[in-house]
Amino acid sequence: MIRWMRRWPRRPHDPERNAAEYVTGELPKRARRWFEAHLLGCEDCWREVLLGRLGRRVAEEAREQAPAGLRDRVRAAVQLTGEAGPAGARDPFGP
Amino acid sequence: MVSDQDEFLRETMGAMDLVFNLSRRLTDRRQDAEDLVQDTFLQAFRAWKDHRRPKRVEPWLATICLNLARSRYRARARRPADVSLEEWMVRSSADPESLAVGRIEREELYRAMQGLPEEQRVAIALVDLSGCSTYEAAEIMRTPRGTVLSRLHRGRRALARLLGDRIEEVIR
Repeated sequence: MIRWMRRWPRRPHDPERNAAEYVTGELPKRARRWFEAHLLGCEDCWREVLLGRLGRRVAEEAREQAPAGLRDRVRAAVQLTGEAGPAGARDPFGP
Repeated sequence: MVSDQDEFLRETMGAMDLVFNLSRRLTDRRQDAEDLVQDTFLQAFRAWKDHRRPKRVEPWLATICLNLARSRYRARARRPADVSLEEWMVRSSADPESLAVGRIEREELYRAMQGLPEEQRVAIALVDLSGCSTYEAAEIMRTPRGTVLSRLHRGRRALARLLGDRIEEVIR
């Protein structure tokens, strides 16, 4: 990680990738601290992080729970397929 | 003795929401999504019975779901992705103020997600909706992790535009 941080200032960085890792929460602790300090001075990364965060919030609004009826349907289909054995391994609700 | 199906259901049903959310991003109609979920679990069960069992069921089911969608549903799926998000927003005459987070209608959100290019939609569905890491998403999508990060960010950025004027205020 220290190697990663040392390399960063000398390399052209990728605001898209950095923002995606940061917003997803996949930067290790020390790298995250470094990146947060970097954000204060880098307009490109700052902007991408803001956009990434907002986009993630919008995406999360779209999360849905599977309907209860679907759970029952899948359970029944698996049980039937299991009981039918190899010869009946086709989708019991299929054509 | 626990049957194969009981063991399978016990291990995999917790991933139902993951598979459902992924299926919703891969199909245009809710009924198609539900069919895809069922097909995914049935195909996974057949592999399970053949003792092909994964270390983690979530990425395994997501991979099966994605492959099934591509091979069986893609050809017949209508492609709202042909319309860009910006075009869709203009066509729908959406008021930017009403598109702020928390006030976006679910249907609009769904359409906006469907308006993203498929690879961005899948990356978002896997990481933001299903909780996969980008390492897992890269494995599922059979693409380098850097590509996943790029697709993920571009998709998020496009969705952020739903916030219209408000986001510009934040950035300025």
